[in-house]
Amino acid sequence: MNNLPAIIPILIVVLSAAAAMLAEAFRQPGERMPIAGLGLIGLVGAGAASYFLWDKDAQSFGVVRADNFALFINIILCIIGVLTMVFSNDVVEREDIPGGEYYALTLFAISGMMLMVAATDLLVIFLALEVLSLAVYVLTGIRRESAEGAEAAFKYFLLGAFSSAFFLYGIAFAFTIAGSTRLDEVGKAMASAPHATLAMLAVALLAVGFAFKISAVPFHMWTPDAYEGAPTIVTAFMSTGVKAAAFGAFVRVFLSTLQPLEGHWVPVLAVIAGATMIVGTVVGVLQSNVKRMLAYSSIAHAGYLLLGIVAASEDGKAAVLFYLLVYAVANIGALGIVALLGTAEHPHDQLRDFAGLWRARPGLAGLMTVFLLSLGGFPPTAGFIGKWYIFAAAVRDGYYSLAIIGVLSSVVSVFFYLRIVVMMYMTEEAAAPARPRVSGPAMAGLALAMLATFYLGVLPTRVIEYAVESVKAIV
Amino acid sequence: MLSTIVFLPLVGAVLVLLLGGRGDRAEREPIVRYAALAVSLVSFASTLWLWMQFNASTAEFQFVEQHEWLPQFGISYHLGVDGISLFLVVLTGFLTPLALLTSWQSVHESVKLFSFFMLVLETAMLGVFVSLDLFLFYIFWDAVLIPMYFLIGIWGYERRIYAAVKFILYTMVGSILMLVAIIGLGYAHASSTGTLSFDLLQLYGTALSRTMETWFFLAFTLAFVIKVPLFPFHTWLPDAHVEAPTAGSVILAGVMLKMGTYGLLRFAFPLFPTAAAEFAPYIAALAVVGIVYGALVAMVQPDMKKLVAYSSVSHLGFVVLGLCAVNVNGVQGAVYQMLNHGVSTGGLFIIVGMLSDRRHTRLISEYGGLKAVMPRLVAAFLLITLSSIALPGMNGFIGEFLILLGAFRWHPKVAAIAATGVILSAVYMLWMFQRVNYGDVTNEENRRLPDLSPREWAIMIPTIATAIAMGIFPGVFLKPMEPAVVRVVDRIHGTLPAAASTRSPGSGLRASDESSTLAPRPAADSPLISTLGSRPSALGPRSSRIGQR
Repeated sequence: MNNLPAIIPILIVVLSAAAAMLAEAFRQPGERMPIAGLGLIGLVGAGAASYFLWDKDAQSFGVVRADNFALFINIILCIIGVLTMVFSNDVVEREDIPGGEYYALTLFAISGMMLMVAATDLLVIFLALEVLSLAVYVLTGIRRESAEGAEAAFKYFLLGAFSSAFFLYGIAFAFTIAGSTRLDEVGKAMASAPHATLAMLAVALLAVGFAFKISAVPFHMWTPDAYEGAPTIVTAFMSTGVKAAAFGAFVRVFLSTLQPLEGHWVPVLAVIAGATMIVGTVVGVLQSNVKRMLAYSSIAHAGYLLLGIVAASEDGKAAVLFYLLVYAVANIGALGIVALLGTAEHPHDQLRDFAGLWRARPGLAGLMTVFLLSLGGFPPTAGFIGKWYIFAAAVRDGYYSLAIIGVLSSVVSVFFYLRIVVMMYMTEEAAAPARPRVSGPAMAGLALAMLATFYLGVLPTRVIEYAVESVKAIV
Repeated sequence: MLSTIVFLPLVGAVLVLLLGGRGDRAEREPIVRYAALAVSLVSFASTLWLWMQFNASTAEFQFVEQHEWLPQFGISYHLGVDGISLFLVVLTGFLTPLALLTSWQSVHESVKLFSFFMLVLETAMLGVFVSLDLFLFYIFWDAVLIPMYFLIGIWGYERRIYAAVKFILYTMVGSILMLVAIIGLGYAHASSTGTLSFDLLQLYGTALSRTMETWFFLAFTLAFVIKVPLFPFHTWLPDAHVEAPTAGSVILAGVMLKMGTYGLLRFAFPLFPTAAAEFAPYIAALAVVGIVYGALVAMVQPDMKKLVAYSSVSHLGFVVLGLCAVNVNGVQGAVYQMLNHGVSTGGLFIIVGMLSDRRHTRLISEYGGLKAVMPRLVAAFLLITLSSIALPGMNGFIGEFLILLGAFRWHPKVAAIAATGVILSAVYMLWMFQRVNYGDVTNEENRRLPDLSPREWAIMIPTIATAIAMGIFPGVFLKPMEPAVVRVVDRIHGTLPAAASTRSPGSGLRASDESSTLAPRPAADSPLISTLGSRPSALGPRSSRIGQR
């Protein structure tokens, strides 16, 4: 029994996923079932469990550790999950998504994400990565009639499998050195032989594996296609959830286990971070599809987050955690609005679809504006504090040039976020596309996300304290 | 108390949003308008109250509020006003209700949102002037951009989207580098003193390496000179001004440009005095170029709004010149000129807005002979024009005189070139005035234009009264300003005595006595930037010699 506590949040999510599958099995054709509610219960439960596990440092089977770091990301994942569930309830039918499978896969993906950040063994990280990846590949192509969806899923799957192979090779090399795949053993072995070729290879291959998942340049090619082809609600989910999980594991592996080799990987990651910020924003400017634009914006945000890893300090780690939360709330809000306005026939994802949204739907336009301003890093929204934290960590470690690239690229990104704002407020509605109604719960979810955006932007102290607290778990 | 003053408009903005109800309802328009106007008037009254309560004899920050905010970063919520920021706060309070009134006729589309953004903008601007923590300052500084972006983009003229985007990107590029410099300065302070702080008063006098100081100064200065805007960073201004609705132009010219000069005076110069000494001549040179260039370009504009916009480039050049002289005359003149420019250029934009409300054109060639049609409006126009071209007895004269005096002390040649700007401003302003108002009515459409309405009277009377009052009683404004100006000048020269707070500031000269203020200061008070650091004593010799005069 002593092994159980650390995996309780994961178990709860898995159970709710199983319940969702069962519910689908019992569902009569044509019957409406509030399956999202099951997911909601599971996620709230997992969030509560994570809250009660705080500071307990529970461990399971020697490979899963629910330290504060994992729990912080668990809570981010629960927030992402809850918002996804709330929006999905509106969206799923309209988008011709098979409900039971969709909810079950989403919940399984979340369980994989939670496992990934809590795992203290490279092989378990790999397993978790596969659990979440497989679920997300299927989710990307879940609308079977859609050619774009199939293409996106196929691309994502191929490149993802490729990156998994890299990651597995990295584990193999690490195992060769350490004789174990446990993170602490690997760390010790790396510290004693920091210049061995094998160690280099292991670090490089693991980094490539992570870089794929967080869509860092030059491993970002799949991102725009997958984000554009997937149903919008799936895009919202994976652009935030996968990123949070992958960054969690990335930080855990690189800033504790592989910290001794810092001198080797930091310069490389610094270059990658700079390139990611630049490519994400500059290419983002050229997009006319909002989903694709936000895909590039998510690449740019991966660059900012990498900056926190490059800073390789307590501040940097805490900044990454805080930024993940900030980004998750704003991004899922923005993409959630796109999803809520779309139907299978009219995805509502072109820039011009947003023309005159403010007249038709003032509330949604206002919310969208807040989320975009947060993504762009304007005070007094959360995005500003997040960027401040990241750039402060970078400047403190002397990375002025990266911080300058970061701030300038965030100005460029403001340009494309504002393109949406221009459309919503300053352009006359052309041919009114049929925009579906947004239900009360979805509106409430968006309103909560907006409140969180302002709360984290004005009074972030408490949450930053938690972030600082939780990175103490990984030394 | 300061918090209340700063956030009152924001509360009002939310109130206005609630009063407006769902959607865009025409029948709620009057309620929304009056509510917004009432909020802005209460807010103006509160800024006046601040002035009444202000202790004019000290250079210390007053009404200080300090609370811990983000202890992780050493960031506190720190507000306070001194004689410099006090009047900018009052100016903000003064111009916002006027700007709201100007939109009475011209803005009918989504008045609710318009009033909301105007009031949010007021909060952000007030915040900029009273923040004493760099982080807090930056938040307000950036927050100003968003409402202004919407004001230009939604209620502007034909090319409004272009102008709005250009405005926000241009100013962001400058200010975002300042953000990096702010962070860098905080951590440099931490490494030399051990405590991380972004408190302005703590950061004054931080020991910095020469390169760091130079880069930080340049980053701060870039942000501020873009906002001013100093030649050659001014290209966003004509677009923004021409496309903005009248209310937007009034606020933009009246208050937002001063954020740039205020930033130079409060942050860039005193935080990095050595770099400031090194670069001040270059900045001054750009300012002088701007004075002449702005005036020359203004002269050939066919569009009245554009003409006034370029005249702003010229006038703000004077302000920057006064700051670069870094002596009491120059800085005091600069601060005074900031206020003057707010009133007179704000007034000019209001007048141009009134004309274009009537005729829907701003081209000078469309007008002519208005004096016969609208004698009262033209009289107001004349008074504002005279105030803008610095006629003695009007406000502009005091400011420009003090600035030129300060500049003359510093570099007579620079002052001589800058003085041509005074002449040129008379040329372009009066020439425009003549073409618009005198002669025969050449365009039939102008023949039946209505004269000032009661609402427009309500706008013009306070504006003109202020312009005249500031010309006749400059002491009312200069006296409370003086201790703070002396303090800033001393700080920039690095001669701030340890006992500065105990010294009775302004003992040397009472600005309430106009003649002594305007009398040339003796040599001891002409610390040239080039003699930086070698200045013997701050005030001693001056007081005695003033007595002799």
